[in-house]
Amino acid sequence: MPPALEIRGLSKTFGVKTVLDSFELTVQPGEIHVLLGQNGSGKSTLIKILSGYHDPDPGGLVRVGGGELHFGSPASSRALGCRFVHQDLGLVETSSVLDNLLIGPGFPTSAGTIRRRSARKLARDALAAVGLDIDPAKPVAALGSAERTGVAIARAMFRPAAGHLSGQESRGETKPAALILDEPTAALPVNEVERLLANLRATAATGVGILYVTHHLDEVTGFADRVSVLRNGVLIDTWRVPELDRDRLIHQLIGAELEQVQRIETPRADTRAQPPVVSASDLWAGPVEGLTLDAWAGEVTGICGLTGSGRESILGALFGARPRAGEVRIAGKPLKPHRTDLAILAGVAYLPSDRRASGAVMDLTARENLTLVNLKPFWRHLLLRKKLEKAEVARWFEKFDVRPKDGISDPLNTFSGGNQQKLLFAKWLREIPKVLLLDEPTQGVDVGAKAELHRQIVAAARLGAAVIVSSTDLDELVTLCSRVLVIRNGQIFEEITGGNLTTSTLNRSFHLEPAGAGNNGDHSAS
Amino acid sequence: MTTVLHKPVLHKPVLHKPVPKKPVPKIRFNIGLDRFSGLYLWAAFIVIFGFWTPALFMSMSTVHLIASTQAVSGILALAVLIPMICGQYDLSVGANANLTGMVAVVLQVERHWPLLPTLLVSVVIGVLVGVVNGFIVVRFRVNSFIATLGMGSVLTAFMLLVTNSQQEPVPLSAGWNNLTQYPVFGFQVIIYYLLALALIAWWVVEFTPAGRYLRAAGGNPEAARLSGVRVNRLSWWSLIAGGAISGVGGVLYTSLTGPSLTFGPDLLLPAFAAVFLGSTQLQPGRFNVWGTMLAIFVLATGIEGLQLVSGAAWIGDMFNGVALVLAVALAASRRGKPTAIRRRAIKTAVAQSEAQDAAVEAKTSA
Repeated sequence: MPPALEIRGLSKTFGVKTVLDSFELTVQPGEIHVLLGQNGSGKSTLIKILSGYHDPDPGGLVRVGGGELHFGSPASSRALGCRFVHQDLGLVETSSVLDNLLIGPGFPTSAGTIRRRSARKLARDALAAVGLDIDPAKPVAALGSAERTGVAIARAMFRPAAGHLSGQESRGETKPAALILDEPTAALPVNEVERLLANLRATAATGVGILYVTHHLDEVTGFADRVSVLRNGVLIDTWRVPELDRDRLIHQLIGAELEQVQRIETPRADTRAQPPVVSASDLWAGPVEGLTLDAWAGEVTGICGLTGSGRESILGALFGARPRAGEVRIAGKPLKPHRTDLAILAGVAYLPSDRRASGAVMDLTARENLTLVNLKPFWRHLLLRKKLEKAEVARWFEKFDVRPKDGISDPLNTFSGGNQQKLLFAKWLREIPKVLLLDEPTQGVDVGAKAELHRQIVAAARLGAAVIVSSTDLDELVTLCSRVLVIRNGQIFEEITGGNLTTSTLNRSFHLEPAGAGNNGDHSAS
Repeated sequence: MTTVLHKPVLHKPVLHKPVPKKPVPKIRFNIGLDRFSGLYLWAAFIVIFGFWTPALFMSMSTVHLIASTQAVSGILALAVLIPMICGQYDLSVGANANLTGMVAVVLQVERHWPLLPTLLVSVVIGVLVGVVNGFIVVRFRVNSFIATLGMGSVLTAFMLLVTNSQQEPVPLSAGWNNLTQYPVFGFQVIIYYLLALALIAWWVVEFTPAGRYLRAAGGNPEAARLSGVRVNRLSWWSLIAGGAISGVGGVLYTSLTGPSLTFGPDLLLPAFAAVFLGSTQLQPGRFNVWGTMLAIFVLATGIEGLQLVSGAAWIGDMFNGVALVLAVALAASRRGKPTAIRRRAIKTAVAQSEAQDAAVEAKTSA
């Protein structure tokens, strides 16, 4: 049987710069092959060549299921059985799953009217083929993020059997040979990732070769058969997954050792003698029901819990970003709900999880975003002194190694995700906050930037901030926190500290069935 | 994955090898065709109409005429601009100006009020309109577009009530006429009011924290709120500022041209056209004061020239309408695109870091 995907000597140069250099890769039918690479390593160029968007340099060869790909032709790519799921899934949110699946290939009709029953059956089969069991009549907007990605996969893999669709639609297309996914988990919370990977394993089992492009290392083990690392357009090597451990992989990926972040191990006696800096009692906000929480200076407190447990509402409620009931005290003084300006004055900083929606003003410049919280130092004699402002922003660019270095006055949306996140960190650390509330601080950020942000978090705590991190990334919590609060049903279920603090104890704690509550196994991640 | 403009930040080993020198970029004369297109257009208008009808167009009286007739348009454009920066449409500026202008006339002609209290009361009415607009938008969470559209209609009704739908006679006081028509350096004094208001608006928008907060609230209200900006209060204030400025504009209009029951709506569209066209000028992608002012005078010069040449009455409406749609289309097409200068800078930065990577690569493989 020919390989699902075979790439030989593929190069691509733009002007003088080579973004892909004699790239080689094979994916066997039924194999899951992970391609790892940092931002800018050439991954997206590769995908664009495979999908027929870019023409590679002459001399390369790509075979899909044995047939040679005509470069620069999306039609050829599709006809050979190459299927893509892009990062932006391209689903119509207000339409049903069924409409999303069939809108491309066409609906089964008789005399111009959609044959509802057979359309439903088609959709169900397509979903089942990728291991999904959802009602095709549901609107996409009602689905979780993993399910949406699943629908996009089902749509990519969809192949109507000849005769199923009427008229010209029944072309009897070739069976999909290779499925290529571009960072499908970039926007997924960690507990949803597991579900998606399960769907992909089901898809691979049908004999399709899967090329899975990502910069998340943690998805490799237990999922992929082989892994290839791409760095600066050069294929470093391909390994069978069991041969490779995480540290070696990181080394291959970024080409240097990653400095380890040293967490503050135990609760500090000196600060614990003081009253807690953050003290919330009987907090109610959405799924949070009567939660009581204390956090001390100089510590990093973690919060974890499944989606819906209330974990994602706590920090916003403390800060006043979302409506709350109950009392929140900062250094003993009560905080008014809904008054973010007063919270900031009291020394609270809050980094929301959704950068685009609520974290930053994307159209404003990096400088304006960074100084928005506090313009006082530049306000002299009735004028905002831009020179002072630029000088200070330049210092933060330097400190966080933000690229491009001279981009101080560029709109924030021209920066990469990792650099945007660094700028938002700088925005809050500039205030030397007493309380630092971080919601998913490193979502969608690559390994190098993530380590940098982690170092900054621990440094802020050492300087005396009370840091609370809410994250779905358990590794992150274990790396950073001196204690982690596990949230369930809107309350603190357990506090895990010291030597007990490992990903496996965390996992066990939040998946353990509470006595008496026979859950329907909603979280298959355990 | 989107196209990556910058390399990710890595902790690269220190380089000992000299980085290959980047090629010296060719010095290109940047005439700023995008940012300053309005200026070029203005110059083109002056040259074209100057040659076409030198006697009519190239005279100081044309300059004076454009300056004073556009002063009120400019003031109303500022009234639109301030709430617009904060993300709020104020469609009631025209009707507001018409009401305050007519109130000023009625108070003087029918009630025989002296000038100063008249001006004060008229402008306070403008402010109150802004307060009510803000109340509806902030407290009732009505979209500003709808709220001020409705308010405009209500204000027109009030204006007809106040005037009994009668064309009022011109108030006969020297002070009233001198308020706008007194000559200063050859120009009627009203143009200096516009200049003063524009300077104040410029200062607020560009050089005070309040201006920064306005922009943040207009760009992403939720992010601004989470950064401690009191977005609701700010939106309210921006609508009050819009109301106050329209109030001033209305009074100045009736002082300059005399009472009219219909001048308000005619001023609304040019004001919006100028604000949107202005956002493609000087600071492209941003609503800004001097861009707006530039747009007002470029449009006025074009209209004036065409009218002098053709004598057609429809030119003003046509010109303003086309300009508004074109301006918004232009603004939309360039949103988020870096300017030409930035694009070049980014290109060199990318090339530079590529070269660095290549050097690192060579070093590690060696």
